[in-house]
Amino acid sequence: DMKRKDAQMRATINQKLIETGERERLKELLRTRLIECGWRDQLKQHCKEVVKQKGLEHITVDDLVSEITPKGRALVPDNVKKELLQRIRTFLAQQSNI
Amino acid sequence: MEEMPVQDLQNGESHYELAVKDVMLELIDDVSLGLCFEVHRACKFGTLFLGDTDPKSQREHELVDRPGVDVFGQVPTKKQFECMCPNCERNLAASRFAPHLEKCMGMGRNSSRIASRRQAAMAKETENRMVNPFITDDSPDDDNDVDWSYHVDKKVKRLKKDKLSNSPRRNKFHKFRNGDSNSDRSATPEPPSYELMSLEERKHLLLSTCGVISEHTKKMCTRSHKCPQHTDEQRQKVRSFLLGHSGVEDDVNIDIDSLDDLDGQLIRENLQWEAGSNASSPADSNSTNNSIGSSYKKPTGKSGKSKKKKYKGGHGGGSGVTSLTHSASDSNLYEFE
Repeated sequence: DMKRKDAQMRATINQKLIETGERERLKELLRTRLIECGWRDQLKQHCKEVVKQKGLEHITVDDLVSEITPKGRALVPDNVKKELLQRIRTFLAQQSNI
Repeated sequence: MEEMPVQDLQNGESHYELAVKDVMLELIDDVSLGLCFEVHRACKFGTLFLGDTDPKSQREHELVDRPGVDVFGQVPTKKQFECMCPNCERNLAASRFAPHLEKCMGMGRNSSRIASRRQAAMAKETENRMVNPFITDDSPDDDNDVDWSYHVDKKVKRLKKDKLSNSPRRNKFHKFRNGDSNSDRSATPEPPSYELMSLEERKHLLLSTCGVISEHTKKMCTRSHKCPQHTDEQRQKVRSFLLGHSGVEDDVNIDIDSLDDLDGQLIRENLQWEAGSNASSPADSNSTNNSIGSSYKKPTGKSGKSKKKKYKGGHGGGSGVTSLTHSASDSNLYEFE
């Protein structure tokens, strides 16, 4: 029951984000912030290392994704995270009023 | 959107908060995925390692992030760049290079000016040297030093003299003194020197213009006979002066009525002419005849003397009439004709 509600809630949130275009805006904001703080360059360096490790010829997208994603999540600085969370909360709070 | 129950499920966070957090993580994953695709594409195109050099130079040229120093690790002061002139092979400061090259190669406005000036100085110097054997071999650059050499003064004097002699003011004086010096350069051909002109020309001039000679400039006034600056008396004086004092008595100046200089025929001619041409009062026309008589055979101009006669004579007509009768006294005025 709880899970269903939970899932329903998330679905609703996502729906709202997409419909209003807020998701795209948030993504753009996130991209800008991550480039500014150097996260992207750091991660790219890590990619190169993975490619060197795995071999240039045989590298696949999946390899990269599985290696990069957790690293990426960890590398995001706290202030960027906080800002993003705040924005999402604000948006959702507005949505509940309308 | 419905209110969510605040239940502590996972580490003190509500479902709601978790959901929000997950949204954020999804967003981060999306960006990472974007990067992965880019890197993978670069791998397959072979552009991934394109910008890299060997590890040694990589370390050497790493970005510097220390305070007080720029990205290259250099202190931000202005460095003076030096360069070598290809012409004279001197080490020069970069900011002075362009003007130096202009002079060095002899191209450009200033350098040609300086060169021609030097040429002139050199030429003069050699000329002077031929004249004066005692001049030492000073370089032309020393010309600026006025105290030094003899020939420098000449050059300076000549320059000054040239300037002065060309001024228009000087030209005016020259005209009356020398007669023909600087006559080409003057802007005003009039008034020519009255000394130079023949009698005929003088008469002609006096007929048409006021002709009074100014004390300061020794010039004849070129205005008409009625010019307000000069009185008829002045005009009379000038005419007697210019026409050689040909025996005109003083009473010509004093007594108008005696200034009846016209011969019978001349008067009649002039009368006719004046009557025809002059629409003004007959007094005027008559009195003009007098002045014309004192001029010459050519009754061209109206004379300002007409005014004078009117004033002094009181009755213009009267004076005119009397003038007709007294014709003999000043016949000598036009004797020289």
